[in-house]
Amino acid sequence: MERFAFFPGCLIPTRHPAMEFAIRETLPKLGIEIVDLDGASCCPDPIYFKSKDKLSWLSVAARNLTLAEEIGLDIFTNCSGCTATLSETYHLLLDESLKAKVNERLKRIGREYHGTSKIRHIVTLLRDVAGYEAVRESVVRPLEGLKVAIHYGCHLLKPSRIMQVDDPNNPTVMEDLVSALGATPVRHRNWYLCCGKACQSEDVPANMMHDLLGTVNAEHADILCMICPTCFGQFDHGQMKVAQRFNEDFHTPPIYFFQLLAFAQGVAYDKLGFERQRFKPECLRNFETAASPAGDDS
Amino acid sequence: MSGTSGKDDDVVRVDFDFRRELAEKIEGNLASFCYQCGACVGDCPATTYDDAFNPREIMLKVLYGLGGELLKDDSILWYCTNCYNCHERCPQEVKPVEVIISLKNMLADRGIYPDTVGKIIKTFETTGRTTPISPAVEKQRARFGLPPLTEVPMDEVQQLIEPASDEGDS
Repeated sequence: MERFAFFPGCLIPTRHPAMEFAIRETLPKLGIEIVDLDGASCCPDPIYFKSKDKLSWLSVAARNLTLAEEIGLDIFTNCSGCTATLSETYHLLLDESLKAKVNERLKRIGREYHGTSKIRHIVTLLRDVAGYEAVRESVVRPLEGLKVAIHYGCHLLKPSRIMQVDDPNNPTVMEDLVSALGATPVRHRNWYLCCGKACQSEDVPANMMHDLLGTVNAEHADILCMICPTCFGQFDHGQMKVAQRFNEDFHTPPIYFFQLLAFAQGVAYDKLGFERQRFKPECLRNFETAASPAGDDS
Repeated sequence: MSGTSGKDDDVVRVDFDFRRELAEKIEGNLASFCYQCGACVGDCPATTYDDAFNPREIMLKVLYGLGGELLKDDSILWYCTNCYNCHERCPQEVKPVEVIISLKNMLADRGIYPDTVGKIIKTFETTGRTTPISPAVEKQRARFGLPPLTEVPMDEVQQLIEPASDEGDS
């Protein structure tokens, strides 16, 4: 088992506990031990608090990183926003003068940032630590014939010089993972679009999501798979608003990748919290009745 | 500039105080390297859906020191989607999104942000989280067999976010 410090952030543990449940179910089956971090705060978010004061934002982020440094582990994140904040902090604090400035603040609380813990988006743990083959071997319910559209979102990939996850112009990591579950990944024409959550206009995100859902629909995808809880909120609750506004029913259930992985690994549909979604991935139930491992649905 | 005919009104006045203030923000001075190529524009989702927002024009206003057009209520800066495409595309490593965030820091110094943004900032500053813990949250977590969430050590967070008077100048 390889050990990593878990940085769950705010949205997943409070709004989407089903996602956290899925992470805790799936990672140990792939040889990854989750070590909980005591005393972590919000990353802080790269949209709102960062807009108030970058130096304070960096200082709080650096404090979170010191918690992992203290136990000598790399951190993994399950939210692309947390990944953006923590990775950018790591990158910016390679600059010695900025690091000194942040450490001046950390001195107030008796801490010091060293830069010894790296940040990994949870997706890269599957690819680089477990490996696609191990993911494939962990699947007991291959999702054959399921067409999965992919929404990469922004901060898994960009800025690529800082994130260093995949080619932002032609990423494959999500396609490879969806394929490892036996499903068919679908790249729709607007795959690179943003979810629009940070934009403080009503029209821009609505029109953007309308176009994005339109191209997902054109590919006849069964579900829209993503890796960020903010994007998820946009495509679940937000999809309802877009459907009302444009009077169109896309009915494209969004799903967080690790819930899909947990399902493919044999966790019962009814245990994965899908009933709380506005758009439920009911199509998964077909796989449950077709190839349910004995004794798992209790 | 708008609708007046007096000669003086046609003259652009560079606000150097604005440029100096922006340069003190982290990565605020990067706009100096902008040569207005527009690589940031083609891939900007906000521009695609509303051309009132244009990262190249924002960088130009910064270069001209037209702070008044950017630092006001209902500033167009809030239309940025924070997607980082401009950061990815810029050949000069200007990181327009980071310059825009530095400009938002200047707005915040003046106490200006949209209500939704201000609300989330306040939640973070008082609870250490952007979405707070509640009995309903704990009930949901228990349903999934998840461990209870712990309080954030707010004394530490609050000491960290308190600005020091001598930090601005470097």
